[in-house]
Amino acid sequence: MVVFQFLDWFWLIAFIVLMVGSGVRFYRLGKRSESDFFLAGRGLPWWLPASSVYATHTATDTPMWVSGVVYRFGLSGLWYTFYAAWCAISAFVSTKMFRRSLAYTQAEWQSLRFGGMSGELLRGWVAGWQVFLNMFILGWVGIAMGKVCGFMFGWPLWIGLIVFSSVCAIYVLAAGYWGVVMADFQQGIIAFIVIIIVSFWGINSAGGAGEIISKLEAMGEAGRLNPFNFTGFFGGEFPVAWFLTMLFIGILGGLGMGTAIDWFPEAQRIQSAKTVKDASWSIWAGSALVVFRNAIWGAAILAFFVLYPDLTDVKDYEMAWFRLGFENLPPGMIGFFFAAIVAIHISTISTHLNLGAVYITRDLYHHYINPKASQKKLVTVGRVGTVILLLGSFIFGSIMENITEWLIFALWIMAAGIWLPGILQVIWWRFNGWAYLAAWVSNLVFSWLVVWVLPAFGILPELRDYHQFWLLMLLGALVFIPVTFFTKPEDMDRLVKFYVMSRPVGWWGPVRREAEKRGLIGSGEPEVSGRKLCD
Amino acid sequence: MRLIKKKWTPAEAEEWTKEDTITVIISPLIYVLILIGGALSALLIPEGFVALSAGIALMFLMIKIIDPKLSAISRGYEEKQKHYLEELEKKMKWED
Repeated sequence: MVVFQFLDWFWLIAFIVLMVGSGVRFYRLGKRSESDFFLAGRGLPWWLPASSVYATHTATDTPMWVSGVVYRFGLSGLWYTFYAAWCAISAFVSTKMFRRSLAYTQAEWQSLRFGGMSGELLRGWVAGWQVFLNMFILGWVGIAMGKVCGFMFGWPLWIGLIVFSSVCAIYVLAAGYWGVVMADFQQGIIAFIVIIIVSFWGINSAGGAGEIISKLEAMGEAGRLNPFNFTGFFGGEFPVAWFLTMLFIGILGGLGMGTAIDWFPEAQRIQSAKTVKDASWSIWAGSALVVFRNAIWGAAILAFFVLYPDLTDVKDYEMAWFRLGFENLPPGMIGFFFAAIVAIHISTISTHLNLGAVYITRDLYHHYINPKASQKKLVTVGRVGTVILLLGSFIFGSIMENITEWLIFALWIMAAGIWLPGILQVIWWRFNGWAYLAAWVSNLVFSWLVVWVLPAFGILPELRDYHQFWLLMLLGALVFIPVTFFTKPEDMDRLVKFYVMSRPVGWWGPVRREAEKRGLIGSGEPEVSGRKLCD
Repeated sequence: MRLIKKKWTPAEAEEWTKEDTITVIISPLIYVLILIGGALSALLIPEGFVALSAGIALMFLMIKIIDPKLSAISRGYEEKQKHYLEELEKKMKWED
């Protein structure tokens, strides 16, 4: 249990006033329009969305996750966190395309890429899925804060779950995405500084870098210092095949859209950047900071391992980084550390409150219920949506302990079978809306069969996660590839518009030739005005 | 002919070129070097400083290669953005 002194309370209250105040200050900008409430008017320089990418993906549960894998596997466990690498390619491929589409959300993009009934079905499905997913993430991150508060102060879980999310909702309701991104900027700086301070303090507390290495060698654990400490190509707990699969999923996923859960918040940041170039650099730089942060955490967790080498319960070692701070920082700094944890927490909460609300407002209300709604009305709906998400997250958070296994499975559904279609929809003109829908539906069926049903009846052995990924990808392809060829391509007018506006890479030959034939693009010649597209 | 092209027209920049290929190879490599280099440097292991320095050097090289092209793409696109936005809002209101 931690007891706060005056200076600790000072840090905490000062930080909360600063964070909430800096968000609320943008009230007047946020209420101007739907575009302001959800995209800050598409006018941000690259470093603002970049800091938001970094702050959003530094959540309360993130150090628990990194602590868990590094404590178990040493520095090679850092590869579990390397999925952020999808941004390395996305920044220069799918980010550019998405920014040029001007779609507010991924759901809206589906209806720009795919037409007719399939496009509308996909828009509705992706929007509904995202409302659910954001509520779930809010509950997940909220209950992680409940655990931290329980660890520190002995509070019941619900206090940490409800109090800080509610404080955060003040500026999200007031200023929308303007508030989110402005608060994220200073939260990102605070979080980065504190991660550096606590991590190096922890390393120092373990005797310093040299002592950590010596102790690991003496314990026969020097392999933990090797980031490539695998257990064979296929065998053991940490095989090379798993590592290669992770690289494959992470890096090539950047060619597509929706290939990683993080794509959806990133899509909002991409669209809020003032130019295509700003969008690209914001995604690249924000994720580079995430990778660097993971590296620093990795070193700190090795320090914790040296201090406490015999922990076997995940509930003990997943708190490693927090314990380094709380057990080693001097009095007066504990409040500073906790204030930074609050910053880490609410930067993620604010993003998902506003992100879920944009799907409710733009894709469900504005598109289907009231297409001619005024800007004032849309901002109001955005605020109502924010409240719905906040309340829903409390319910999810309170039952999280019981449903986590199922929900991780639900997330797996999204990652495995939709990964390849998420790429194909960007790089292959012939891939159509029905094929993408078929991929979603078939993946729902196959994932149940592969993960739960067939192993339960002994028909299929229980597979490792990366085996499941390859199998689900193959089974899905056996459905969506035939569906692609047995259904008509998208309407050529739609494809040409999409191509000229977004300029996707990959197999777009027939569409490109049609666009050239219509005089919309020419090899080496300046393009004609976009206005000609609607001629 | 220069190895890396620095001046682009918007139309030229729209095409996939060797600058894009080099960038999508270097970019993930930089992330790998930052991850490994960052962790090992924090533990004062010399290989970490080498990896981190290489990652930072490659980052500057990548910026030099791709930034002029991105600027040209942006320049060309932003001239048309206002019209595209009008089109998007018309679609939301189901107007022909």
